[in-house]
Order: sequence, then structure tokens, then C-alpha cells
Amino acid sequence: MKEHCRETLERAYLYLDKEQLGERERTQIRTHLEECTPCYERYDLEQQVAEIIARLKDNRSCPAGLRKKIKTLLDEA
Amino acid sequence: MAEAQRVDMSERDKKRFQDDALPLLDSLYAGALRMTRNPADAEDLVQETMLRAYRAFERFEEGTNLKAWLYRIMTNAYINTYRKRQREPQKVSTDEVEDFDLYQELKLHGSQFDETPERIVLDSLVDSDILQAIEDLPEQFRLAVMLSDIEGFSYAEMADIMDVPMGTVMSRLHRGRKALQKRLWDIARDRGIVTGPRQV
Repeated sequence: MKEHCRETLERAYLYLDKEQLGERERTQIRTHLEECTPCYERYDLEQQVAEIIARLKDNRSCPAGLRKKIKTLLDEA
Repeated sequence: MAEAQRVDMSERDKKRFQDDALPLLDSLYAGALRMTRNPADAEDLVQETMLRAYRAFERFEEGTNLKAWLYRIMTNAYINTYRKRQREPQKVSTDEVEDFDLYQELKLHGSQFDETPERIVLDSLVDSDILQAIEDLPEQFRLAVMLSDIEGFSYAEMADIMDVPMGTVMSRLHRGRKALQKRLWDIARDRGIVTGPRQV
């Protein structure tokens, strides 16, 4: 992998993770991903994996008994 | 409970805790379950977290992220108490993770498929596979991946929650994601979704 690709991909993770990046940096990353197919494919794969992991968000709810118990404990605390 | 142990809290703060923290119970329980990997410990952990949080609520800075603050308390409680009880799975050694590259694996095996290989492989995985793969990760990786990719915390929030520098957060997240991708790949291989020798 070219050094430029490696560096851009590293920053692309920040982009993917919605970390704060300057407008200039965002444009650089976007431009590179548009121009470089392997980097775009890698980025796209990371994004797809992130999406399937995110499906687990709030997949379980707090049992009613526990919720009740906590409310009681807080009232007594 | 003895009067002396009661939490000295203004009515306003009490109400604020009830209004703001209780709605986060679902998220906390789901997170606790992923940390402890068993419902009984998860219940204990959430209960302890809420009580600790209630007692420390005056130290919570209004206007900052309450969910992150609660997760910090929960992560601390987990590491100090529950982790000691639990046997840590070591299904993924950290060494073999470094060399794994899902992108290359898919390229290598891509000719088996008519469609895009990543869709075939990823679509073959159901939520319980993903959960299993996360639960199989070594603890530091598991925490990093779940806090970022499931709970959506920022690197800075994660650094605060896990009490490590931001560079450590990023490195754990990077390696955790790699390890997770390797597990997912192995699951797909075990199912016969992808065949052929493992790339070394």
C-alpha cells in the first residue's frame, strides 16, 4: 500500500467515526476516496462492518423487575 | 436504611436524576450484558452503577453527556468487581490479529462469488453471530468496540470512560475491529460460506 493511501485511510477512520476534522481535511479524504478504488473499497468495507455491529444497539431492554427495584432503591437512598 | 446514609440531595437533583438517568436504563443494561456476558451479573452491575451514580450525582457536570458519565461509572465498577469473578475468553490471540486483513481475504476468495463477496459474507451473519464475535474478544478490545461501534461514543468520551489516553483508545479500537473481523470471517468459513485455505 502506498504511503499516501495508508495515511489517508488512517484519517478516514476518524471520518468514519465522526470525529472532528477540519473542512480541508474532510475534502482531502473524500477526494482521495473518490479517486483511489482500493482505498474506497477498504473504507466501504469498514463502513459495512460498522453497520452490522451497530445493529446490536439497544437490542435488549432492562428487565421490568430490575427497573422497579432500582426505582425503589433510589427512593430509599 | 439508616438516616445517616441517606443521600443529601436537593429535590431538584433527585427529580433530574429520575428524569434523565432512568430513561438510560435500557442502554445501560444492554451494555452491562455485553460487558459481563451474563444476565445475573448484568443486573447487579446496572444496579450498582445507578446507586453509585445517584450518590455522586452532585459531581455530574450539567450539560455534559450523562450517558458517558454513567458508562464511566459502570466500566469502573465492572473492572473493579465483576471482571475478577469472570474467566476471560482467549479465543482470539492478539498476535494472529495483527496480520489479519479482511479486505485481502475477500479479494482472495472473491472469485467464488458472482456478487460482491463482502455482501455475501456479511449478509450471512446474523445478530447473534456478531454478538458472539464481540463476546469472544479480549476485554480491552471488547470494551473499545462496543463503546464506539455500538454505543457511538467519541474517542474523547471513550478515553474518559476507560481512563486511558486517546492514543490507547484508537489503538484498542483498531485492533479490536481487526480481531472482530477475523472472528466474523472464521464464522463465515466454519459455515462454508467461504471455502479455501486461510491466508497466512
